[in-house]
Amino acid sequence: MVLYDSATLAGSSSGSSSSSSSKPPPLQPEQRQDIDGHLAGAGYKVRSSELRKVAQRLERLETAMVNSPADLSQLASDTIHYNPSDLASWVDSLLSEFPLTPTCPAEFVTDPVTNQTVVNDAWTTTETNMLLVPQNVSYEQQNLNNQLTVVTAMEEDSGIRLVHMLMTCAECVQCGDFSLATSFLEDMQGLLTRVNTVCGIGKVAGHFIDALSRRIFQGIGGGSINGGSAYENEILYHHFYEACPYLKFAHFTANQAILEAFDGHDCVHVVDFNLMHGLQWPALIQALALRPGGPPLLRLTGIGPPSPDGRDSLREVGLRLAELARSVNVRFAFRGVAASRLEDVKPWMLQVNPKESVAVNSIMQLHRLLGSDPNRNAPIETVLNWIRSLNPKIMTVVEQEANHNQPGFLYRFTEALHYYSTMFDSLEACTVQPNKALAEIYIQREITNVVSCEGSARVERHEPLAKWRIRLTGAGFRPLHLGSNAYKQASMLLTLFSAEGYSVEENDGYLTLGWHSRPLIAASAWQAVSDAPSEFPVPDTHRLS
Amino acid sequence: MSASNEINLNESKMVVPLNTWVLISSFKLAYNLLRRPDGTFNRHLAEFLDRRVPANVNPVGGVFSFDVLIDRATGLLSRVYRPAIGEEPQPNFFDLERPVTAEVVPVIIFFHGGSFAHSSANSAIYDHLCRILVGTCKAVVVSVNYRRAPENRYPCAYDDGWTALKWVNSRSWLKSRKDSKVHVYLAGDSSGGNIAHHVALRAVESGIDILGNILLNPMFGGQERTESEKRLDGKYFVTLRDRDWYWKAFLPDGTDRDHPACNPFGPKGRSLEGIQFPKSLVVVAGLDLIQDWQLAYVEGLKKADQEVKLLYMEQATIGFYLLPNNDHFHVVMDEISKFVSSDC
Repeated sequence: MVLYDSATLAGSSSGSSSSSSSKPPPLQPEQRQDIDGHLAGAGYKVRSSELRKVAQRLERLETAMVNSPADLSQLASDTIHYNPSDLASWVDSLLSEFPLTPTCPAEFVTDPVTNQTVVNDAWTTTETNMLLVPQNVSYEQQNLNNQLTVVTAMEEDSGIRLVHMLMTCAECVQCGDFSLATSFLEDMQGLLTRVNTVCGIGKVAGHFIDALSRRIFQGIGGGSINGGSAYENEILYHHFYEACPYLKFAHFTANQAILEAFDGHDCVHVVDFNLMHGLQWPALIQALALRPGGPPLLRLTGIGPPSPDGRDSLREVGLRLAELARSVNVRFAFRGVAASRLEDVKPWMLQVNPKESVAVNSIMQLHRLLGSDPNRNAPIETVLNWIRSLNPKIMTVVEQEANHNQPGFLYRFTEALHYYSTMFDSLEACTVQPNKALAEIYIQREITNVVSCEGSARVERHEPLAKWRIRLTGAGFRPLHLGSNAYKQASMLLTLFSAEGYSVEENDGYLTLGWHSRPLIAASAWQAVSDAPSEFPVPDTHRLS
Repeated sequence: MSASNEINLNESKMVVPLNTWVLISSFKLAYNLLRRPDGTFNRHLAEFLDRRVPANVNPVGGVFSFDVLIDRATGLLSRVYRPAIGEEPQPNFFDLERPVTAEVVPVIIFFHGGSFAHSSANSAIYDHLCRILVGTCKAVVVSVNYRRAPENRYPCAYDDGWTALKWVNSRSWLKSRKDSKVHVYLAGDSSGGNIAHHVALRAVESGIDILGNILLNPMFGGQERTESEKRLDGKYFVTLRDRDWYWKAFLPDGTDRDHPACNPFGPKGRSLEGIQFPKSLVVVAGLDLIQDWQLAYVEGLKKADQEVKLLYMEQATIGFYLLPNNDHFHVVMDEISKFVSSDC
């Protein structure tokens, strides 16, 4: 099965795309259907091979009109016209309004180029159907412009209307029609007053409306959202951690895998790509303390942003963890590596000892390394390379199970709308305040980044595990299956939450946690392959093995 | 009747590429349906049939566009086309009116054609043409969506042109660095060319500097039937009858085609002698039936000692500039670019 790059699909909008597996890169719609490029620029879709025929029909129509002027005024006033872009069918439909008498000279037209007599045959509808190309976005835009009332009688639910408007507004933004997008924003703000914004679609819609407004009026550079202080981010993270099980699931699952990987090793070193408050590690330290044969020497290297106000927050976390380790008799050493961006970290900073077993732990960090510039090597490749060079016993990767890194804005927007609606839905089940409110802000920041930022400002470049598999295997890693212990851990975790909707699934060795049937977080584990990788995959290859 | 018509159709097919023929013939067909014998116009059908494109702040081919409401009272919209700056993916709302940075930036106020009745600033053919002008002339183009006949007769279109000119002239973000002034050119095809002339006239009388007029197949006429009108009637897409219809729809009731709007240097016109009229580039298509009027216009400018360059494209028909698929098109674009850049 081949997954198409949806952005290309959206742009080509071919109604009959097949799914053969060896397709060359998709042609522009004009090329594929042999549409005359110049006429397309003028808003008409005519196949080059049909130009002559259309010309003939125009001639016939002219002759018919000249011959019967009475019919002309009737033609003008009574006929209903459809789809003027499809010139051929438009001309044909007008032609059909004129009765064709046997004496009409237009029946036998000499093709001036070939000098052949072309008999007037009844035009078939199949041709015109082929010409009815599913409209590209700009034509839909014209339709929208012509029918500004998006609301139909069938859409009783304001919530549904809101979603439709969101999609349409996003489409306007993608097309660059800011004036129409802005008017939709106004309409949506109005609709919001009539929708319950405490929960459900109203709440998440509000966040998306904000993000769209931000994109239009403040631009795509991020600005204040990305500039939130590290301290603020930690607080929000903490509340998100408490309010719903996603982060806990990530930590527990990763810890279980790390524990198993460290079995039998006496010197172990965990590299945490995003230390925060080190919430993940007390559980691991305690588990190591209790393992048969006694605990190993545990080194923890925590990467995090530098603290601006002279504090060394990394060190503070390290001290607290050291205190805990001492209390359970685990020999422990901590090192903090301050870096504003993960790609700024160099392997020598981690001071990995060749004798120790290394675990690299990345909780929702790798996606930030996916670059926006297709022409430059993305930092992900560099980082994956040096991770491999450390020869880790295990690399635990947890990522949002979402497709938020497609270049096409509308596609991304739609994906995000579904993803975060589900996530907000699941938050409803959480009743603990004030965690919930701040957790929502945490999520809101993600939404804002996905929707309103571009280029280097957009760091929330979530990709589904299917894509990470390709990337990681291409970079010289092979999957380590998460076993039933991990599954059991995750399930037990969920029993702590009274909410019924959460679900853990095992698939092909990795675990996902989701709300109802939609997976939202995916956890997987990897090991470096000892021989060199054959080739880096081209980022746009979407092939599931 | 049908025989000579066929000859006409065949003749016109020999001088333009097939896709151009199809395009202009389709317009002709549609326009025939829209003009009613009683002088009214089927506006709804016209708007339905016209192929339009929205503005796009995403640079396409190095050009982005956005619509501006220039005058709330009349609902006068204009579409502004600007060259994209470097590699930026999408400007935000406030980037749109970011000041121009070059020493000299030509600002071309463009009036689309359509014989005063058809088309709009956002018609696909004109959006396309304006984008090309941006690239060719390294200019900002402001395409004016003036009010059309027969619903809005003379002088509405000229009034709207004047409003647009005042607006453009007063935008600080359009001022060239060199002299802190907006370097304005007026341009238009068919009725748009006519509008450009009359707006320039008003500008001169009011002390606004226009650096040049670019008139593409400008629409002029008169009571008299000229030789070219008789010779070329119905031959290349256009008939005298439809020309008459459009003038009747635009000019005030009870006036004839010697009204100065239609015939600026005719019996009711006036000489421009002694007036500081901008230099003009006038493009005349050799197969356009109204060429005698256009040539008379050029003569009128010359007689008044005004600077004018005539580009006579012998084998060109009306609308040759709508599709970039012929030599005339490229010759004309070249000349326009030179015309605009000679003020640096």
